[in-house]
Amino acid sequence: MSYTILYFDGTSSKMHKALLQITALKWAITFTEDDGSSKIISWDTANIKKTNVYTEKFVSFSYGKSYPFQRIESTDTALIEHVNAAKNIDLHKLDVLLHTNKRSSFLYLLTAILGIAIGMYFYVIPTISTHFISNLNHKSVEGFGNFVFKVLSTDLEIDAEKTKKLQYFVDAIQIENTFPLEVYVAKSEDINAFALSGGKIVVYDALLEKIENESQLLALIGHEISHIENRHVLKNVTRNLSGALFISVLFGDISGINTVLAENAHLFSQLSFTRSLEKEADIYGLKIMKDNKVNLCGMSELFEILKEETKFDVPTYLSNHPMLKDRIEYTQKIAKEQGTISENTLLKEKWDALKTTFTNIDLKNE
Amino acid sequence: MEIITDNNTEEKRFKYFGAGLEFAIIYFKNILLTIITIGLYYPWAKVELLKYHYQSTALDNSRFTFHATGKEVFKGFIKIYAILIALYAFLIFASQSQDLKLITTATILFYVFLLLLIPLAIHGSVRYRASRSSWKGIHFKYLGDRKELFLLYLKGLFFTIITFGIYGAWLQVDLRKYVLSNLRFGDLSFKFKGSGGELFWITLKFILLIYITLGIYGFWYYKNIIKFYVDNLEISQDGKPVSFKCNIKTADIVALLVINFFLLIFTLGLATPWVTVRTFKFILRFIIIEEGLDTERIQQVSYDDYDDATGDDFMDFLDFDVL
Repeated sequence: MSYTILYFDGTSSKMHKALLQITALKWAITFTEDDGSSKIISWDTANIKKTNVYTEKFVSFSYGKSYPFQRIESTDTALIEHVNAAKNIDLHKLDVLLHTNKRSSFLYLLTAILGIAIGMYFYVIPTISTHFISNLNHKSVEGFGNFVFKVLSTDLEIDAEKTKKLQYFVDAIQIENTFPLEVYVAKSEDINAFALSGGKIVVYDALLEKIENESQLLALIGHEISHIENRHVLKNVTRNLSGALFISVLFGDISGINTVLAENAHLFSQLSFTRSLEKEADIYGLKIMKDNKVNLCGMSELFEILKEETKFDVPTYLSNHPMLKDRIEYTQKIAKEQGTISENTLLKEKWDALKTTFTNIDLKNE
Repeated sequence: MEIITDNNTEEKRFKYFGAGLEFAIIYFKNILLTIITIGLYYPWAKVELLKYHYQSTALDNSRFTFHATGKEVFKGFIKIYAILIALYAFLIFASQSQDLKLITTATILFYVFLLLLIPLAIHGSVRYRASRSSWKGIHFKYLGDRKELFLLYLKGLFFTIITFGIYGAWLQVDLRKYVLSNLRFGDLSFKFKGSGGELFWITLKFILLIYITLGIYGFWYYKNIIKFYVDNLEISQDGKPVSFKCNIKTADIVALLVINFFLLIFTLGLATPWVTVRTFKFILRFIIIEEGLDTERIQQVSYDDYDDATGDDFMDFLDFDVL
């Protein structure tokens, strides 16, 4: 059987209409020269190269160990069928298979991509990044915290007196901590406190002023210690970055607008992760309170204070913290299980000392 | 099939044979393989997609061929990543020192180095792509000199900086002129006739009008830029120049871009392969090589077997495409 092809000899662009005959070892190309004479070119199958990409209704091959390379092209369906079915021709068999039933292939591919992407995003990446952070050595965790603190500290106005008193309070907490705890009281009207990886905690004086007793303060500090001990900051950052990187790689080549959509979806999922960390910190904070024998109601009282100061309680799905209403509910539930407690005199003493720094100012102001 | 005569000098048109679903299968197959291999398959994926577009493009009833291999592109990637990782490591090292002077110097050095890599990458990329592209068995070939291009770029960069970017248009055109004047296709040569002034005017009109017209002027800008690049291109056979022409109208650009936009939005990007195929079909339909080029008489001159894809990979990293 012979197939119609176009032949190029590699030295000129002249196109020869030719016939191709295929046998096991040789491909014979026959065409008529301008002078009317017939010419036969023989290709050794071992040196034939296919272009290695599937385009329907078209095949092309090149030939030759070295330059110049000869070439044939064909749109002859009989040749294409022969090539697709042949076992001895170096072809992407997978491509031929995928293109036999295009629609279902398309759906299979999409399902596979979606499945793998979802698995990577929700399982593989979070597991790897959490595992990585949990096993990171102490020095690196502290190094990261110190670096962030150095950057932040230029904007923080530290109150030395309050810082000293708060540090006494923290030192009096009974806890098996792996990171050395270092607290700072910063002047700010915001009702806030935050922890940095490696042991640093910053509390704003406006929040400290609202606090009424040692159990509320321990609730706050306990919550922040939990962030530190569980390496929440780094877990959060790593997960956020690796997830965002994955999303941008996946959608990066598709289109700008969809990248934005995907990134927003990522933000929502990240907020939900952050909330889960906050809840974990609340529960762990309660454990610290319990170990130090203070009233567990301090935690829900702290949230009541925050609630009063917060004009809008943002719906849970939009916030990086659980809704205060929910936090009050679940911490109260745990507090109810606490039996009778004796007063932790050491912490109360330290708390009273700290509180005087505020009353002194008040007196001065008057 | 048309009758092949000795003289084949009539006007030539490009035709793109790619089909949406067919390309979608190749496209998504490659995305899948890239995800599974955590990105390692990317060079092979890139090569296969390019091969598809080449093989789907016909001129004078004959298709183009891209001869690159994934292995060559992969080797280039390794080199590029080694350079980039070293650069970033240097930057991170400097930023940890807390020394503002050192950080500033490191940052400046980082960007200067990236900027200086660009002309080298253009050279490598054009030479690699040319060596790996053929039509009718004839290969392209790039004869440019790396040092000349580097100096040309350096001069342009200097003027671009001291003119606050204005000279950028001239720099771009100078580079294009240099690259095209050194490009050969067998015994054919190329020339770019456009001027920096023309490109500057196109860009200036864009900047002045895009906000006033709430972005609508963008369509005219695209038309102008496509026409600028195509209409100023010339190919010479035996010293006789033949021009390229693009007859695209603004209305065509509107039809192309608006429909592409909706296709992408409503399918959350799944229509990307269809949009790609549609764009190639659309643009190539308007490109003509005017009468006078005898495509039966092109002689292969010599072959430049350049297998270093590093430059091409760097351009890919910067999201530039030399084509």
